[in-house]
Amino acid sequence: MRGLWVVFAREIGDAFDSAVAFVYLIGALVLSCGLFMNEFFLTARLDMAPFFRALAPIAGLLLSALTMRSWAEDLKTRTIEIWMTLPLCIWQVVLGKFLAALSLWAVFLVGTTPIVIMLSSLGSPDLGLIASSYAGAFLLGGLFISVGLFASALSQDQVVAFVISLTLCTLLYASGHAKLVAILDGQMDGLGRGLQAHASALFHYQNFTAGLVSLASTIWFVGLTAVFLGLNGHLVSRLRA
Amino acid sequence: MIRVDQVTRRFGTLEAVRGVSFEIGAGEVVGFLGPNGAGKSTLLKMLSTFLLPSTGSIEVAGYDTRRDSIEVRRRIGYLPEHNALFDNMRVRAFLRFMGAARGLEDQAIEQRIEELCERVQLETVLGKRLVECSKGYRQRIGLAAALIHDPPVLLLDEPTHGLDPLQVVAFRKFLAELREGRAILFSSHILAEVAQIATRLLVIQDGQICLDAPLAELNARAGESGQTLEQLVIQAVSTGGAGASQ
Repeated sequence: MRGLWVVFAREIGDAFDSAVAFVYLIGALVLSCGLFMNEFFLTARLDMAPFFRALAPIAGLLLSALTMRSWAEDLKTRTIEIWMTLPLCIWQVVLGKFLAALSLWAVFLVGTTPIVIMLSSLGSPDLGLIASSYAGAFLLGGLFISVGLFASALSQDQVVAFVISLTLCTLLYASGHAKLVAILDGQMDGLGRGLQAHASALFHYQNFTAGLVSLASTIWFVGLTAVFLGLNGHLVSRLRA
Repeated sequence: MIRVDQVTRRFGTLEAVRGVSFEIGAGEVVGFLGPNGAGKSTLLKMLSTFLLPSTGSIEVAGYDTRRDSIEVRRRIGYLPEHNALFDNMRVRAFLRFMGAARGLEDQAIEQRIEELCERVQLETVLGKRLVECSKGYRQRIGLAAALIHDPPVLLLDEPTHGLDPLQVVAFRKFLAELREGRAILFSSHILAEVAQIATRLLVIQDGQICLDAPLAELNARAGESGQTLEQLVIQAVSTGGAGASQ
C-alpha cells in the first residue's frame, strides 16, 4: 500500500505543481457549468439531466487530455526507467497513476455541486436522482481514465495517445446512441441493441442518470476499467521483454 | 554480489549482448569500458532489471533479476545512461520520492538527503525544479537518488558524463569512499578515467567481453611488455580478448 501511496502522491503533486490540474479543472468546470446554465435559463427546470447529458462527451475530452501524458511522457523522456527500476510492482504504479487522475475527476465533480445547491435553493430537485447521476459520472470517469492511461502507454507521442483515447471513449459512448443503435439494428436485427447492452458506456451511464443504481452497470464499469488497467500494466511490463 | 551467467540479449534479430559471463564481489570497483553500441548500457539495464536477458541468468545480491526483480531493485542503486529525471519536480521532492519509493521512513529520508547533499554538493539547488538544473547538477542529483537507500550494489552508466574536471576528481574520491562493502560497476568511454577509479577492468566489444582483469595485473602486464595500458586494451579488443581475460 505504501508503494501505491508514493506513486499517487507523486502524480497528484506533479499535476497540481505544474498547474496542469488547475487548467483542466477550471476549463472543464467553465464548459460544463456554462452549458448547463444556458439550458437552465432556456427551460427553467429544476433538473440536472442536461448537465449529466453534456458531461459524458466532456468527460471523454477532458480525461483523454488529462491522461495523455501519463505514460507517453515517461516513454519519451525515459523516466519510465525510473519507474521500472524502483522496488514497486507494476500494478502499484498503474493504480497510483489511475487513482491520482480519478481524484482529479472527483475534485471536478465536487466542483459542480454549487449547481445542486443553487437548484435546492430554488425549489426541490430530485436529490436521489442527482446522487445516482453523480455515481454514474464517477464510474464513467474511472472508465475513461483507464482508457486514457492505456492509450498513453501505446505511444510516446502525447497527441497520438490523445487521439487514440478520444476515439476509444467516443466509440464506447456512441455505441449506445439511439440513432446508431437503430442504424445497426436496421443492418442486422439485434446488432445495435446487443452492442448497446454489452459495449456501450452510454447505456450503463444512462441507467444511473435515470436514477437506477444498477449492480450490473456498476460491475460493467468496474470490470471494463479493470480490463483497461490490466492491459496498461501488460503493455508497460512488456517493455522489459 | 553480481553474477552474470551466459547472458544474451536480443532486440529483434540484433544480438546486443552475446553469452556474457562475469562475477563481481563486494569491495570491487569495476570499470566497464567499450565503444558506443558495444552493449554496455544494455548489460547495465539488464542488471538493473529494466530489461530481461533473452537467455542466461543474472543474480544480484543473491536474487535472480527475472524471478525476484523487486528484491534486486531494493538492493541496487542505478544511474541510467541518460539520467532522465522528473523535470517538473523540485530536487528535494524528487529525492524524497525516491527515498519513499525505496521504503525509507520520512526521518531517514531527510537524514540521507542532508548527508548526500553535503557529499555531492546539492544544497544550493534543493529548492529548484530539476529542469532548471545544469547537466552537472542533474548528474549529481541522479547519483544522490541512486544512493538514497545506501544500496550494496551500485550500477552507474557514464556517471562522469556532464561533470566538470573538478567534479570528476570529487566523484572519483567519493566512489573510492563508497567502495567498502559494495560492488560497484560503472561504465565509461575513457580508459584514463576508469584506470583512476576502478580496481578491475571489463571491456566489451560487439556484445562480448574481450577483457576482464584486475587493473593492477594489467598494469604489471603492460610494464613487462613495455606497452601502455591503452595499447594493451586496444590489443585485447582487436584480438577479441584472446589470452587477456581473468
